[in-house]
Amino acid sequence: MVQLPTWTALSPTLLLGLTAIVLLLVDSIDPDSSNNELLAGVAGLGSIAAAATSVWFIVAGTGLPAENGELISLFDDQLVVDQMALFFSFLVASVLTLVVVASYDYMADKARQAKYYSLTVMAATGMSLLGSANGLAVAFVALELASLPSYALVAILKTNKGSVEAALKYFLVGALSSGVFLYGISLVYGATGSLQFDAVAAALTDGVPAGILGIGVLMIVGGVAFKTASVPFHFWAPEAYEGAPAPISAFLSSASKAAGFVLAFRVFATALMGDAVLAVVDWVLVFQVLAIVTMFVGNFAAATQENVKRMLAYSSVGHAGYVLIGLAALTGGSSDAYVLGSGMMHLLVYGFMNTGAFLFIALVEYWDIGRTFEDYNGLATQAPLACAAMTVFLFSLAGLPIGGGFFSKFNLLMATVRSGTWFLGAALIVNSALSLYYYTRVVKAMWIEEPASGLEIERYPIGLYTAVLVAALVTVLLLPGFDAVSQTAETAASLL
Amino acid sequence: MIPTQYYLLLSAAVFCIGIFGVLTRRNALIFLMSVELILNAANINLVAFSFQYGNLSGQVFALFAMGLAAAEVAVGLGIVLVLYRNFSDIDVTEATTMRW
Amino acid sequence: MSNPWIAIGALALVGVLIPLSMISVSALLRPSVPEQGKRATYESGEIPTGSSQQIRFNIQYYMVALLFVVFDIETVLIFPWTVIYRDAVGALGYEQVLFPMLLFLGVLVAGLAWAWRNGAVQWVKSPRATRQLSTNNE
Repeated sequence: MVQLPTWTALSPTLLLGLTAIVLLLVDSIDPDSSNNELLAGVAGLGSIAAAATSVWFIVAGTGLPAENGELISLFDDQLVVDQMALFFSFLVASVLTLVVVASYDYMADKARQAKYYSLTVMAATGMSLLGSANGLAVAFVALELASLPSYALVAILKTNKGSVEAALKYFLVGALSSGVFLYGISLVYGATGSLQFDAVAAALTDGVPAGILGIGVLMIVGGVAFKTASVPFHFWAPEAYEGAPAPISAFLSSASKAAGFVLAFRVFATALMGDAVLAVVDWVLVFQVLAIVTMFVGNFAAATQENVKRMLAYSSVGHAGYVLIGLAALTGGSSDAYVLGSGMMHLLVYGFMNTGAFLFIALVEYWDIGRTFEDYNGLATQAPLACAAMTVFLFSLAGLPIGGGFFSKFNLLMATVRSGTWFLGAALIVNSALSLYYYTRVVKAMWIEEPASGLEIERYPIGLYTAVLVAALVTVLLLPGFDAVSQTAETAASLL
Repeated sequence: MIPTQYYLLLSAAVFCIGIFGVLTRRNALIFLMSVELILNAANINLVAFSFQYGNLSGQVFALFAMGLAAAEVAVGLGIVLVLYRNFSDIDVTEATTMRW
Repeated sequence: MSNPWIAIGALALVGVLIPLSMISVSALLRPSVPEQGKRATYESGEIPTGSSQQIRFNIQYYMVALLFVVFDIETVLIFPWTVIYRDAVGALGYEQVLFPMLLFLGVLVAGLAWAWRNGAVQWVKSPRATRQLSTNNE
């Protein structure tokens, strides 16, 4: 077998970056026409190629240690390509594919399409790069590469007040938290004299200056909390997800959240793991508190909503709380790899089911039939196929054994049992039961309630339908095929 | 040689001024300036620690942080511009069509 | 070993002395003619209308300024590269030193080309300014 050069291990990320530049060039050649098919086609091909390459690399074992035990690392150890990097590249690229396919219809009659697609792919490049970051400097650059296009994407409907307001709030919180995050990085650098993760970990012995390190770690927690939309920096999430175009909400709530978590996994499990740090600031305890508060805030707020998109936005905050278990249950025992792995599994399954749910909202916005629960009444009489897919997403989000969400939540629960953090498991069960209540409200509205008079759907857009149905199919298939995901995730986590 | 603590105090002061500006001012442009102060406070730290440890990674990272700060301001000004066009004001508390 | 604070103190002293000396020298030299017209905004006698808060600049200044900020800052990333270029080529060869920078510049050029083609650097004349110009010429 031919041995590829080492830098090709970054191919998924490089393909996404190349696609973004090709999109810019296509728009430069002919800026006046908006050739929807060409733009969506280029973006879709690029993202599918990136997803396929990551799968190929995972299967071929690119991210596994070589015979001498070394992982592939590039640029003086600033980037690392291990199973976790490839896992998240696949996650981001497949969410991007679904979003691009759906946007083909959603953005069809809107202006600024070339900008829309190239910004989306640029943000995906940043998120994918974040998975490979092996130093605080690269992590910050990749984080900004993911964030800056996202702010612009939320504001892409320039004349829509909701879109602009959402972008403003997203930007205000985002700019502040990236400032705080950078300050935290500078303090950790001050305490250790290094930005590279392994070097930071090596420098963290008992003699580190405690005050600087403690404040720095807390500030980094703040930056991570923003990107993952968890308490205390979750305020932007409902606004941004509600105001943004629905495919962008899907992209941000799935891929962007996953990118935030991979950053957290790398920073905390690689660089800041160890008794010297935990003696100064017990970030595991911080994450335990954040996980429980995030779960309850997200789910209780979701239960009181009247607007379906906003309900999903708050439920996405709640899911951030579930995944935080992957950090909060790191008690330092033998269960650590399983705990991290279960967080990764939930992110992957969540990537498909949540993207699908938001794309269904995009479909409803496309039909222009309103946003509240009442507006969804009797929708199944008009579009049974899409409503069946939405039912799969919602029940899988709640954790019923209809989609992969059942196993991923079950694994999170087992992780809390194995690490002895039973109170996290209890919070998970209580909140999942609560979430079933508000998810069922949507299902009940769609299937049982009588439709409002005059409810009629004339157009069945092919792109949006394809994206929703593929997402539903993958969600269901993850139920029998969960073993492959869980094995990959556990191997990836054990390599950290 | 000036001790590193002095730089740390300076940067902490700049950081606090920035946070104060973010929390108290309602003008979006002043918000942007305050965020810029926070980022530059971090840059002071990075350069000072880089000097203390005698390695260059902090200084190089400070250069990257400057570039990113410029890009962030560019995006932020764009958002402030569309904010003004839609709400005829750059007061960040004016835009409240969605309830919390 | 002299105290480094001396240099900083001297710099601060000079920094304060230069503007102070300029102000005082000009105060000593200039003739003093107090007159009410000096206090008006426009000494030509034009009475200002409206508030100075309401001055609006053409949006195109903003576009150009934004491009300038972004591309100007990128030079800080090129600058350290130029400093070590000769030594680095000697140690590592062209392909490791020159090509990454060419790639970086290529991405920047793609961005600039896009901005150019989309009219960000094109100076569009406002209809009102054109109208005023033509009435003045008549």
